Amino acid sequence: MIELRDVSRTYKRGADAIRALDHVTLDIDSGRFVALMGPSGSGKSTLLNIVAGLDRPDSGEVVVAGQKLPDMSEDELAAFRARHVGFVFQFFNLIPVLTARGNVELPLLLTHLGKAERRERALTALRIVGLEERAEHHPNELSGGEQQRVAIARAIVSDPEIVVADEPTGDLDAKNAVEILELLRALCTDFGKTVVMVTHDARAEAHVDIIHSLDKGVLADPEMAARA
Amino acid sequence: MLPLRYALGNLIARRTRTALTVGVIALVVLAISLFSGLVSSLRHTLVSTGSADTLVVLRKGSTNDGSSAVPLEAVKALRYFEGVARDSSDQPLASPELVVQPFFRTRQGGRENVLVRGVEPMALQVHRGITIVAGRMFEASRGEAIIGKSVADRYVGAELGSELVFGRSKWKVVGIFESGGSSLESETWVDARELAADSKRPVPYSGLRLRVAAGTDPDALARRIGDDPRWALDAMPETEYYDKQAESASIFYVIAIGLAVLTGIGATFGATNTLYAAVQARRAEIGTLRAIGFSRFSILTSFLIESLALALVGFLIGSVLAVGLGHLVSFLLGGIAFGASTFTTNVVELRVGPFDLAASLVLALSVGIAGGFFPALRAARLRPIEALRRG
Ligand SMILES: Nc1ncnc2c1ncn2[C@@H]1O[C@H](COP(=O)(O)OP(=O)(O)OP(=O)(O)O)[C@@H](O)[C@H]1O
Ligand SMILES: [Mg+2]
Repeated sequence: MIELRDVSRTYKRGADAIRALDHVTLDIDSGRFVALMGPSGSGKSTLLNIVAGLDRPDSGEVVVAGQKLPDMSEDELAAFRARHVGFVFQFFNLIPVLTARGNVELPLLLTHLGKAERRERALTALRIVGLEERAEHHPNELSGGEQQRVAIARAIVSDPEIVVADEPTGDLDAKNAVEILELLRALCTDFGKTVVMVTHDARAEAHVDIIHSLDKGVLADPEMAARA
Repeated sequence: MLPLRYALGNLIARRTRTALTVGVIALVVLAISLFSGLVSSLRHTLVSTGSADTLVVLRKGSTNDGSSAVPLEAVKALRYFEGVARDSSDQPLASPELVVQPFFRTRQGGRENVLVRGVEPMALQVHRGITIVAGRMFEASRGEAIIGKSVADRYVGAELGSELVFGRSKWKVVGIFESGGSSLESETWVDARELAADSKRPVPYSGLRLRVAAGTDPDALARRIGDDPRWALDAMPETEYYDKQAESASIFYVIAIGLAVLTGIGATFGATNTLYAAVQARRAEIGTLRAIGFSRFSILTSFLIESLALALVGFLIGSVLAVGLGHLVSFLLGGIAFGASTFTTNVVELRVGPFDLAASLVLALSVGIAGGFFPALRAARLRPIEALRRG
């Protein structure tokens, strides 16, 4: 599903060059729940962004869902993301002026689905995360955990193969964090999604299949997580 | 494409800034459509005064009655020129006239140049559309005057039964007339000979109006008069004469355009600022939308729509205010006095018409597009990973 070969990414900051990823080679199988861990600044988000088609490496190969991402133009990448990737963020990133349903419907606006169909699917996605009855609420009327669940509904509504999540539990209390981890777990188990999650959260170990550790842009050998 | 609800929702979400920007655009629209309305009304008033089958005869080289004089023999001869229309009792429809421009005192205590036209009773038939709506026509040699509707109540003594003071005499107002909104309504009419005597003019007439008989080409008659070697006269259809008068109003269009550009630029900067602030505040949101897969183009359009919506709401509010204020002014003041060196005071009914609204709509939309363009471009150009990074 996801293949990275010798991927490097360097950021220029003034005269300095920061090597955020250093010859990273990584394979992620379809339907897995994978965690990326490591200290702050180790390149986790950079790696996740490259996998998701948000960022491009300076060198190396990236093949996701059968597509060679580094060869694609900006607009092709946008279309790729719309079709294959769902996003979950630390701060939920819901659009405040849209209702929960409006937010969940957003990715469907990039498809050819009609209005009724979009609405139906958005409500289905909200049902999966257990928030169907909050469909007409705005984000500021929802708790953090609920907002993140709406964000997860938005990430899966267009049925992408991959869901990427950058510290999805980073802004949540323990109870909500566990609920979100369980929900992401269910996306793999029940819906066959490949979930790639950046996290600092030690509780994640109990939910994921594999943990990849990054340090200063270098990937360590993968660890099988406790549950595997 | 992002839903319209998204663009509009954001406008509502930041109420204060939106209201401020809309307010500025509304003010610009208000100012421009009122000003444009005023100029259009002035032009309309002047242009509608003329009729195509009436000739204005003036001294060669004169552009208006005020600077003209026509000899008595010419007046006598021209009356009976072939091609001059006759009334039912076979009198020529010719109106020798003397125009003077004294100052009248306004009720507010100001002084305004007013056109006083010395005429003979025939003038009521030669000029089209004159109706005496109160009182009666003046009688000669009795110091009587009739006044146009716009003169009435504007100046000291300008009411039925009162006395107007101008020149060397006092004139009793015996009638009020209307002329369908034309500039004649800003005039005062008295007996020509009395006016000549009062103003000590050696030649009693400054010009002559001739109604052209049916079947005669007005231009041909005008040429015959102009070519007549006995007098150095010019004749032209009234429409042409008033068109020329109206041209002097064009300077106001230049002013209007200047004003539009200046206020438009101001409003554009306002809109630009508002939208730059919006882009800045919504960086993470823009990054999120781009991550989801929305194209740069749909981000650009959405911000442009926000900006255009601001402009449209501003236009709607501004134009409603302008039309309302136009009516209010006409209702309260009866009109706006327009004076310029080339013509006497014209009281113009301020009416904001479709042309004026269209002009300010174009202005408002330009403000919307110009004001929104650079912020929208910045939003569209944000790289998603930068936009999503915190701090
Ligand atoms: N746009 C950028 N410009 C310059 N430097 C960047 C940029 N993005 C990331 N970096 C740098 O690259 C390195 C890796 O960043 P990255 O965001 O991938 O780390 P991270 O592991 O996600 O850290 P954190 O746990 O704090 O989120 C860091 O040193 C960071 O400062
Ligand atoms: Mg990070």
